[in-house]
Amino acid sequence: MNLESLQSLLPQILLALGSTAILLGGAWVRNRRLWLLAGSIVAILAALTATFVEPVQIDILGMYSASAYARFCTVLWSLTVAATLVISFRYVDIFRFGGGEYASLMLFAAAGMSLLSAATSFIGLFLGLEVLTLALYILIAFRHEDTRGAEAGMKYLVFGAVATAFLAFGIALIYAATGTFNLQAAAAGLQAESGLRPLGLAGWALLLVAIGFKVSLVPFHLWTPDVYQGAPAPVSGLLATAAKGAVLTAFLPLLVMTGEGVADISAVLWFLAIVTMLVGTFAALSQTNIKRMLAYSSVVHMGYLLIALIVAGEEGSRALLFYLVVYSLATFGAFGIITTFADENGEIQSYDDLRGLAALHPRRCAMLSVFLLSLTGIPPLAGFFAKFGLFQAAFRSGYVELAVIGIIASVISVYYYLRPIIVLYSSEPALVCRDVAAQSETLLLVGCAVVIVILGVYPAPLLELVAQIVP
Amino acid sequence: MVIDFPLLSLLLFTPLAGAFMCLLFGVGNNAAPRWVALLTAGGVFVFSLLVCLLQTPSAGWLLYEDYRWIEQFGIRYTLGLDGLSSVLILLTAFLQVLAVLVSWRQERAPGVYFALLLVLEMAAIGVLLALDLILFYLFWELMLIPMFFLIGVWGYQRRFQAAVKFFLYTLVGSLCLLLAVISLYLLHGEQTGTYTFALEALKQTELSTTQEMVFFLCFMAAFVVKIPLFPFHSWLPDAHAEGPAAGSVDLAGLLLKTGVYGMIRFAFPLFPVAAQKALPLLAGLALVGLFYAAWVAFQQVDIKRIVAFSSISHMGFVILGLAAWNQTAWEGSVLLMVNHAITTAGLFAVVAMIEQRTGTRSLDQLGGLWKSHPNMSAFFLLFCMASLGLPGLANFAGEILILIGVFTVKPLWAVIAVGGILFSAVYTLKLVQGTLWGSHCEPHDKRDLHSREWLVLIPLGALVVALGCYPQPVLDLLREPLGSLLLVGGMP
Repeated sequence: MNLESLQSLLPQILLALGSTAILLGGAWVRNRRLWLLAGSIVAILAALTATFVEPVQIDILGMYSASAYARFCTVLWSLTVAATLVISFRYVDIFRFGGGEYASLMLFAAAGMSLLSAATSFIGLFLGLEVLTLALYILIAFRHEDTRGAEAGMKYLVFGAVATAFLAFGIALIYAATGTFNLQAAAAGLQAESGLRPLGLAGWALLLVAIGFKVSLVPFHLWTPDVYQGAPAPVSGLLATAAKGAVLTAFLPLLVMTGEGVADISAVLWFLAIVTMLVGTFAALSQTNIKRMLAYSSVVHMGYLLIALIVAGEEGSRALLFYLVVYSLATFGAFGIITTFADENGEIQSYDDLRGLAALHPRRCAMLSVFLLSLTGIPPLAGFFAKFGLFQAAFRSGYVELAVIGIIASVISVYYYLRPIIVLYSSEPALVCRDVAAQSETLLLVGCAVVIVILGVYPAPLLELVAQIVP
Repeated sequence: MVIDFPLLSLLLFTPLAGAFMCLLFGVGNNAAPRWVALLTAGGVFVFSLLVCLLQTPSAGWLLYEDYRWIEQFGIRYTLGLDGLSSVLILLTAFLQVLAVLVSWRQERAPGVYFALLLVLEMAAIGVLLALDLILFYLFWELMLIPMFFLIGVWGYQRRFQAAVKFFLYTLVGSLCLLLAVISLYLLHGEQTGTYTFALEALKQTELSTTQEMVFFLCFMAAFVVKIPLFPFHSWLPDAHAEGPAAGSVDLAGLLLKTGVYGMIRFAFPLFPVAAQKALPLLAGLALVGLFYAAWVAFQQVDIKRIVAFSSISHMGFVILGLAAWNQTAWEGSVLLMVNHAITTAGLFAVVAMIEQRTGTRSLDQLGGLWKSHPNMSAFFLLFCMASLGLPGLANFAGEILILIGVFTVKPLWAVIAVGGILFSAVYTLKLVQGTLWGSHCEPHDKRDLHSREWLVLIPLGALVVALGCYPQPVLDLLREPLGSLLLVGGMP
């Protein structure tokens, strides 16, 4: 490792160093908001560095890349973490979290995610994923005195550990079959007709299982609703957006480069996509807890994103990135609203608690409606063009069946996204009266909603950006 | 006529600007939003009136705008205005002024309420102007959201069920439309290499008969739900009965019209062959709907539901006219659509006034209003007579044109349809008798019309008479556009 590679990894190093500094500082100064603020500033600094400081070398030790694509992902995840920290200001006070630890772990997770999406070798990938997962283990169980919180932490730990084992074993098998840790070379090596091909395929299968756990594809999704329900709302938001996005983006360059290399895998992905969309949709229908509903909704959206992975090529990757940004905005917003509704008695989760809230909090309820309607894909919100781009790409590449199933799932999704909205606007008086949201929270969420509306009316700039950075 | 200034965009975005102003001024102020809404709606009305008056009846676009929008998908921002759209936009703008006046005393969150009304107006105008299919679809869907909240938040007891029913019905239809639009776009792209959503370009797409039929049915799914044509109508009575008065005015005056407009502007010209094949089916459904809705209307006791079902019945008449596929019938259809919007808006307005005074909409409890409220009752009678097609009043002109047009093609259809007029007389007379005469009910508010209500009813009443006696100006505007749209089908 030389100075050039360190310079090229500057954003990630910033995140990691900031995380350590806050962890140490947090032991001396017990001021929650200070550390959260410091954390978000570090994350924003990392995002700025990633945007404006040109990397010296693109390929870093054959493990990571500092391409425009990797940098874009870094910016995305850093900003998500910064936003999560801002949204948690009141939340950490209410539940008396250790501010330093919380902010430090969030930054740690950001470093992990950005390493993950920048990985070009299995080692880098494994490192990034483990950094992320370790931070998440603790973050999810932050409310450990709460039974559900402890349960969520335990579930994620057990499933996560198993997934890690699958990942490590899969990597080992692929290495045995192809003799390389490089992602592209391994994918290409799989194609070569050698006696070790079955071994490589077995390795990829194990790898897929691990990814399935991480991004909660059916049938590996069972942990999702419980963990989302038990974890603190801002952490669930991070889990549903950046944590999943990072895993998907790590595999995106692979599929773009070698449309051929993954032919065998894409058959499996095809099956997983259909099952994920359908099972997720039908499971979401009966939910009466908004966090669980959002958990299943994230499962369904992962199914949609799998379509983009299967379509692959430039078109698929553009659709995937655009969709990911729009989905993350809306999902983060929805969890953000839930965060702002939290008080000493806990979070608002069940639909009964949401009943009639719009009369008391018209602005926040209107924003929640915007986020949910964007997830549904109703124009003129950004979700529409995201789905449009995705299904259009699927149609063009001949995956008509996937697009049709996706559209049917979207139609059904109207039901489960509208249900909470209807409850919010019910005329019955609210059972619980919640605090006024902090100014910073409101500002941030209004920002999300405005971006969703603007992207829904004029998505061209983001589409262009995405087209430029596709690897 | 080429004007560089984007007049159409101005027309389109004025209501949106008004909506933002409503939200802005609505914070802590109950009176400001309604004035903003009235001024905006009034401004749009004057503007569209000028457009209608100043134009010479001619073929082609009177005003046209075309800008790049989302190049990655080949989507353009294309707006065009011809005689057909200008008539319907004028109608929209006129009814919107009345809708604002009808809901003048809105107490619950007036800022949001009037903002939603204005967004609805913008979406309706957008639908009538858009010439790019995705732009059209965006506006089409945009109509859903304000209407959903208007019914769901400001409606009566069972408003949620009504709002969700409305939303789901129309959304399923719209998604069929979207699927067809995307498939058509991809097919056209494969054939010509240019991926575009422009209506004119997509008309040139070569389609096999099956493809054309499938696409046509998908388009129609969206439109017939909105109209609504029997048997896709069951959301409408609920939406009317549970929605607020202005919601009903907008529903009858704006939303239903967009369905017919979509058929004339998009579905028929894009798929002429399939349209020809489907005409008998369309006529059959229209005739069944005509009678069925009239029959159900006769059974109702809620006067708002009676008006709602009469609306379905009249729309059946409109579709029958379209199915005849000739100039006379089409002119009649669009004219009836305009007239029906005005009479129905009047009926809904009076129904709301009756409800305010008596606290009920049930025929069982109403009666004898003629004695206590003569002026209001006179207007109610006028609108009812127009609705049942009394010569000299609005609906008659449209109906007779449709009947003449249909008779030249399929005499049998016309004969059956005449029976439908008879049916409408039956339930309308029952409605009049039950509310205005008969046993006296005890209204808690004895006042007859007050000034704001006069302001709503006089223009409507005057239009009902004027359009009944002299519909020529409207027909002049419609002649060329409808003629050229008919030519596309290539049928006599």
